[in-house]
Amino acid sequence: MKNRYKILLIAVLAMFSAVSCQQFSDVSKIGEVESLSAVVSVTLNLGSAPIPDKLNVKMINYSERYEVNTTMNPNGTVTIPNIIPGIYTITVTSEKSQDGFTYNYSGNVVNVDIVTNNKQITVNVGASKSGALVFKEVYYCGSRTPTGGSYFRDQFYEIYNNSETVQNVRNLAIAIIAPLTATPNKPVWPATEDPSLFVYALQIWSVPNDKDYPLNPGESIIIAQMADDHKKSNLNPSSPVNLLSAEFETLVNTTSLIQDNPAINMVMSFWPSPTPQWLTTVFGGAFVIYYPNEPINPANFVTPVGLTTRHYRIPIEDVVDALELVGNATQVQLKRMPAVLDAGAATVGGTYLSVSVARKVKETVGGGRAILFDTNNSSEDFEVMNPPVIRRYGAVAPSWNTWK
Amino acid sequence: MKMRKVKYIYWAGVLMLTLFAVQPASAQKTTDKNSPASIELLKAKSLWFNTTNGAGLTLDKMYNFSSVDFTYQLKSGDFKKLQDGDKERLLGVSTEGGQKLGTGYAWGKFSFNNEMQRNTQFNTTMLDPARGMPFYPVDPNISDWKKQDYRLEMKVASQPLWDRVILGIQGEYFASTGAKQVDPRSETYFYTINIKPALVALFNDHALGVNFVYENLVQESGTTNSNSQINHNVYVMKGLGNYYPSVVGGLQSLGRFVYNGNKVGAAIQYSYGFSDMKFLLEGKYDYGVEDVISTPTKPKKEGSVVRELMDAKLTAVKNGFNVSRLELSYSNRSIDGIEHVQVLDNTYEVQQWVDLYSSIRAIYKQEDISARFDFFRGADHDYKWKAGLFTNYRSNDDDYIMPHSRMIIKNMYFGADAKANLSLGGETKLLAGAGFTYKNNFDGSYHYRGADPGSIIITQFMTPDFQFLKQSYYKIGGELSLYSGLGKMSRAGFYLKASLDYYKPIEGDNSRVQTNFGLGFIF
Repeated sequence: MKNRYKILLIAVLAMFSAVSCQQFSDVSKIGEVESLSAVVSVTLNLGSAPIPDKLNVKMINYSERYEVNTTMNPNGTVTIPNIIPGIYTITVTSEKSQDGFTYNYSGNVVNVDIVTNNKQITVNVGASKSGALVFKEVYYCGSRTPTGGSYFRDQFYEIYNNSETVQNVRNLAIAIIAPLTATPNKPVWPATEDPSLFVYALQIWSVPNDKDYPLNPGESIIIAQMADDHKKSNLNPSSPVNLLSAEFETLVNTTSLIQDNPAINMVMSFWPSPTPQWLTTVFGGAFVIYYPNEPINPANFVTPVGLTTRHYRIPIEDVVDALELVGNATQVQLKRMPAVLDAGAATVGGTYLSVSVARKVKETVGGGRAILFDTNNSSEDFEVMNPPVIRRYGAVAPSWNTWK
Repeated sequence: MKMRKVKYIYWAGVLMLTLFAVQPASAQKTTDKNSPASIELLKAKSLWFNTTNGAGLTLDKMYNFSSVDFTYQLKSGDFKKLQDGDKERLLGVSTEGGQKLGTGYAWGKFSFNNEMQRNTQFNTTMLDPARGMPFYPVDPNISDWKKQDYRLEMKVASQPLWDRVILGIQGEYFASTGAKQVDPRSETYFYTINIKPALVALFNDHALGVNFVYENLVQESGTTNSNSQINHNVYVMKGLGNYYPSVVGGLQSLGRFVYNGNKVGAAIQYSYGFSDMKFLLEGKYDYGVEDVISTPTKPKKEGSVVRELMDAKLTAVKNGFNVSRLELSYSNRSIDGIEHVQVLDNTYEVQQWVDLYSSIRAIYKQEDISARFDFFRGADHDYKWKAGLFTNYRSNDDDYIMPHSRMIIKNMYFGADAKANLSLGGETKLLAGAGFTYKNNFDGSYHYRGADPGSIIITQFMTPDFQFLKQSYYKIGGELSLYSGLGKMSRAGFYLKASLDYYKPIEGDNSRVQTNFGLGFIF
């Protein structure tokens, strides 16, 4: 018996020794951190757009909350010193006005590991004219009730005509894409077609395709989860918004709390497992608006490898605007949205805070019409607003909204 | 399962030793009653007892003793770190005993503490946030903590073999658990086990000792919210105010933190005795590594630390009618904070975090130089009175390399204490003591150059704690211990004890009071 205990004791000590040896070996060659340099170059895919005069280069290490900014010549390279080793998102942007158009130049690479000196990084930079329809303000995080409870029925999405021409939102679709929240665990998509050409929707709602819904420059539409006055006593007197004047709502079915409001009901185009309201995650979803190039058929779903959850494939080339929202600033590195649609992400940094994200004003033109930033980088284009306000900056409701 | 079995064996062994040691002694004069003062003197005289070499116990020629102590401790006041409680209550029980084994010796101790801390802040998961671990989450919510711990210690020394060699072993098992009482709340389990095999070689009046150290440490902390409707922001600290934000609650809740550490080390001792003088020189070196991972089912490294400790101590004791004791020591502790750059291999079949780069991002250094002199008057089995003087220089130099932040604190402590062992007639004695300590801060600076100098972590946590650490203060204290024997022919006795320490900074109106009440039996 004594021998058994001795053997047991020796075995345990040997096991501990082996574990500790491995642990000691793992750290034995680790030295002090040293700053690194990276060399950034660009490949320009500008089509007919003019070459920008200079490019702004931004490197962000989200986990360190460390940022380096510099500029470079479009035809050259730039060496960026004093970099903390880590995972970086490199964004290259510029803007140029020519022949009456404003061109945005953007490109980025995400999750680039810079852990060796003089790492060569190439960024593909594309050009686009500023988009016509853009997400103007999104209130997604919800609010607190007077008793401290959680209230999330007052979410809204404001879409704005940021262009000089009339836009028609008939059949415009809004989708939340997968995964639902920012996470390192990305779904793996079947490679029947190049997965990088698509985003994958969890739910899609569409403006009815029954008639035209014109939107003049400077006008906006509000898509409400529930287009009611949320300050009502039976809802949440602490809610920051009254959405009775919203143009659209995502009604699934009425309940004791949810009623069919004056707003036009959106069409539920794709939602495999609907719930009584279109609650999108209060941690921040990733959204696109787009015009489907063919009718949305829910039967044409796709599932990630190893999962049965149904998703709908949206071609990136159909997307009009995109907005990635995350739970906090660190989670920008967990981006879901392809960089070509949104090079960054916006956040209110918490949940049930009664605050929103809204696009910044770039300039105000004749008649007080606001032109909003649209660089395809939500980290730059959006700011946190307290409280959320529909149609801020003088945005106007469309004339066909007679209940406003 | 095997590990648990070894723990049971270890426990059983230490408890047996402790219980064995509380048996009545035989080799001691029956008139010599053990008392708090006599045990204090016994330990002061015993040079090897205060080393990490268990084998040396035989050379101390300690007599048999044993005690059972109950303690009730209260702390209150606002002169404290934020992570301490406004009020703290500790209930403790311990038993300790030493027993001759022929010409060898065995010693054991068991203690249990139950603690309640009121209104702590900026500590979400750590049972001991000052244990030298920079990677842990904090939150600004004011909360109570409930903790309890037990500690088992043992030392065994053989009799001299061939009059040349003594073998010994020393071990300790410490287990602690605690829970934070307000959202984001946590439950944390912590344990260490260490074992120190030892040997002493004898050369006439000279003795040369060596012992080795192995220690294993595990901590597990899980966070949750009682109110699932409200998520809470937490800040995962990386050192000197650097952090990354996270949240407890919801789909992206902070994962479970698991700490796993191992330590090895060695110490050598040399002692020499002539006439009534004895001295002992000890040098120690410990090296340990502790890894921190989160979400054990898909482990992600939060960081690692490498700890090095070098320690040297000289102790000299002059015995006689009076006892004089001098202790000089130097220690140098260095902790490297290692951070890892990782990416998730998102391949469907793999899905694991992969190390790309690891580097030392912070170095925390602490240096201590101390001296203490004690004089025991009339020191045979007991003492009539004692007086002591001590000083301690402590330098902390913490350096976060990139982005560069630094905290330097240099303090000097001076103090004096005295006790009088007054006979009240019969078997009753009163041990009355008083002490004074002055801490003088002569250097202190904190420069944070990280990402967010305006965050509450810097403005409400790091800066106030730094201000506390660099404050000069004085402490005055006193204690009374009333001892009474239990029968003339018995060595047993019991005591009642009360002590009070009052801390007051040189600048400012805050203060802190620590009160202890004790009841004990000594055999």
